[in-house]
Amino acid sequence: MTALPVPVTRRGAAYWLAGYRGMLRFDLASAREWLVPFTLVQVLMGAGMAIIYGFYLGDMPPRAATFVATGAPTLAVIPLGMALAPSLVAGRRIEGTYDFMWSLPVPRLTAALSSFTLFTLLAAPGFAASLGIAAWRYDLDLHVSASVLPGVLLCSLMAASVGFAVGHAVASPALVNVVTNLVIFVVLMFSPIAFPIEHFPGWLAAAHRVLPFWHMAQVVRASLTDGLVTGVAASYLVLGAWTVAAWLLAAWAVGRRR
Amino acid sequence: MTAPAPPASRLRSGLGYWWHSYRMMLRWEVTSLRMVLAITVIVQILTGAGFVLALSLFFGQVPPRSALFVSTGVLVVTLITIGLVLGPQLVAMQKAEKTYDFLWSLPVPRTTAALAWVTTNLILGLPGMGVALGVAVMRYDLDLHVTWAIVPAVLLTVFTGTMVGYALAHSLGNPMLIAAITQMLIFVIIGFSPINFPADHLPGWLAAAHRWLPLAPMADTVRAGLTQGVVADVARSYLVLGAWGLASVGVSAAVLGKRG
Repeated sequence: MTALPVPVTRRGAAYWLAGYRGMLRFDLASAREWLVPFTLVQVLMGAGMAIIYGFYLGDMPPRAATFVATGAPTLAVIPLGMALAPSLVAGRRIEGTYDFMWSLPVPRLTAALSSFTLFTLLAAPGFAASLGIAAWRYDLDLHVSASVLPGVLLCSLMAASVGFAVGHAVASPALVNVVTNLVIFVVLMFSPIAFPIEHFPGWLAAAHRVLPFWHMAQVVRASLTDGLVTGVAASYLVLGAWTVAAWLLAAWAVGRRR
Repeated sequence: MTAPAPPASRLRSGLGYWWHSYRMMLRWEVTSLRMVLAITVIVQILTGAGFVLALSLFFGQVPPRSALFVSTGVLVVTLITIGLVLGPQLVAMQKAEKTYDFLWSLPVPRTTAALAWVTTNLILGLPGMGVALGVAVMRYDLDLHVTWAIVPAVLLTVFTGTMVGYALAHSLGNPMLIAAITQMLIFVIIGFSPINFPADHLPGWLAAAHRWLPLAPMADTVRAGLTQGVVADVARSYLVLGAWGLASVGVSAAVLGKRG
C-alpha cells in the first residue's frame, strides 16, 4: 500500500519565502548563459559611451567631464532593465516557455520579485565598472556619499519594473523588440543623462521631466558629486511613481486571464 | 509519339549573359529586401539626422571643427553600416535558415551576385546620406566645398565597405559569431574610429592603428570631396582603401570559389 502524498499548505509566509527562493534560483540558473556577454554590454554602454562622448568633443571642460562620467553608471543600468528584461520575456514567448513559467506552483508575485532581485543585483558590476573607468579616463575627484545605495537600488528597481511590465503587457515579441530599440536610441541620443538638461530645447526638457531617464541621472549624480544637482527629492518621487505604475501594469498583465 | 524536346542550349558566358545575370540578381536583392527596405532607409535617415542633431543637444555650443567632422562623417556611417553590419547579418540569417546554399545554386556568375549587393547598398545608403548632409547644412553653418571627387570617394567607400562585410560574412561559418562581430563593428564605427571626429581626439595608438584600417580612409576620401584643407594626403587614403577592397574581393573569391 502506497503512502498518500503529504498535503502541503500552499500559503503562508514560509511557503511564500520558499517560492521566492526557488524562483530566484531558477532565474539565476537561466541567467548563466547571457550573464557574461550582458555584463560586457553594460560596461560598453556605460563606460564606452562616456569615453566616446569625449572623443566627439575633443577637449572637455571639467564640468562637462564630471557630467559625462557621472552619467556613465546610469547609462549602464538602463539597458539591463529596459532592454534585457523585456527581451527575456519576449524570448520566452517565442520559445513557448512563457506559459510554463506561470504554471510553476509558486505565487506569481514571487516570480516577479525574483526577476526584480536578479536585475537589481546584476546592475551592480556594470554600475561600478562604468563609474570607475569613466572617472579614471577623465581624472575626476568624486564625492561618493551613502545615498548612492538607495539611489542605485531605486534606479535599477525602476528600470527592471518598467522592463518587466512592458515585456508582460506587450504580447508581440516583435513589438517588444521595436520598443526596446527605440528606448536605447532615445536614451543614447536624446536624453540629458550625460549632459546638462539646460542644453535641451524647452519641449524636450519638459518631456524629460516626466520621463524617468533624466531623474535616474539626477539621483545617481547627486550621490556622486557635491553641489552639482538640485531638487533630488523630486527625482526620487518621480522614480518611485514610475516604479509603482510599472508594478500596477505588471500586476494587471500577469493577473489577467486569457 | 514525339520525343521530349532537348533542353534549350544557351551560352552561359559572355558579356550579355553577365549583364542579364547582374540585372536579375539586383532585382532579386531588392525584392528580397522589400520587407525591411523602407524600415532600413528610415532608420538610416533617423540615425544620420539624429547624430547631427544630438551633438548640439549634448554640447550646447559645438565647436565648428567638431560640427564639420560629424556632419561629413555621418554620411560615411550611413553609407557603410548596411554593407558592414546589416549585410553580414543577412548572410548569417541565410546560413541559419539554410537558404544559403540555395542562393549559390542560382545559375548566375558569382561576381554578379556580389556586384548586385554592392549596388543595393549604394541604393540604400544614398537617401540617408542626402538627408544627413541636408540636416547638417541647415543646423550648422558649414564651410563645404563639394567637388567631383565626392563621386569616386562614395563609390569606393561603398564598394570597400560592402566587400569587407561580404568577405567577413562568407568566410565565417558560425552565424552567432557573425552577429557578435557586426555588433562590435557598429560600436567601433560610431565610437572608436576617426569618422565622426578628428583622429587627434583618439589616443595615439588607436589613431596609428586606424591609418592601416579601412574606416579612417573612407572618412578621409569622402570628407576630402566635401571640404577644402581639412584632409591631408588623400592619395594615401585612396590607396589603403583600394587595397582593402581588393583584399576583400580576393578573400570572397577564394571562399566562394572553392567547392564545398
